[in-house]
Amino acid sequence: MNLINNLEFYLVFSSILFVLGLLAALTRRNAIGIFMGVELMLNAAGLNFVAFQSFRKNIGGGDWLHGHVFSLFIIILAAIEAAVALAIVLRIFAAKRNIDPYAATELRG
Amino acid sequence: MGTLSALLVAFHPNILYAAVSLIFSLLSVAGMYAALGADFLAAAQLIIYVGAIVVVILFAVMMSEDIYRGRLFDNFKRFLWPAIFSVVILSGVVKLLLQTNWSGIKDNFDRLPTTKAMGLALVGPYAIVFQYVAIVLLLGLIGAVVVARPEFHHGDHEEDQA
Repeated sequence: MNLINNLEFYLVFSSILFVLGLLAALTRRNAIGIFMGVELMLNAAGLNFVAFQSFRKNIGGGDWLHGHVFSLFIIILAAIEAAVALAIVLRIFAAKRNIDPYAATELRG
Repeated sequence: MGTLSALLVAFHPNILYAAVSLIFSLLSVAGMYAALGADFLAAAQLIIYVGAIVVVILFAVMMSEDIYRGRLFDNFKRFLWPAIFSVVILSGVVKLLLQTNWSGIKDNFDRLPTTKAMGLALVGPYAIVFQYVAIVLLLGLIGAVVVARPEFHHGDHEEDQA
């Protein structure tokens, strides 16, 4: 069985990646760890888009590569999210001297 | 390799090693983009994720204080319910997509250069979304600068001294 030309291989891999990202986001007691889990989940979603795009039969005509464009948007939004999340982490670190999300439970403290 | 490094991202107690194994996980996803014929996306993944986001994460790892305190399963209760939840989700999804009869799916695909088609799509049916993403990027950068800006009032500074 050729794994490269097999849709289920990519789907199983991306679901494993998604679940591990979910587990990292749920169990880490560290804002950076949670953030890395979110990045893994975004990657899994983008990989699913590209896999379905590549194995799709071109039925309606006019191949615009929708899956690739959506995956590109996912990458761009992940970059924005990285910038904003790290700004918030910097701010919490300046106020609390650590980045434990369970310590940052108050607003305007 | 991707699964192994993603396991390390999820479970390694040292956040620095988890960040380094995140690099390998993202690299394997980039390799899968290349294997699926998405050459532009593989390059974008390499440049944006591995080049920019991981560097920012490694910069933020500096602020994590207890990175050398080895604790893998010392508080097992914290891992228990998320692990059960994740295993249930993973087994359900994998079972579902292995027994699905995918209709409308090619057995093989052609690896054409995708950059021209993606550029035409970005200025064609996705032009509004493209400009919207540009505005979101600008607002996100402005918001990040506003949030991360050091305060020049005297209140926070005295709290730091204490």
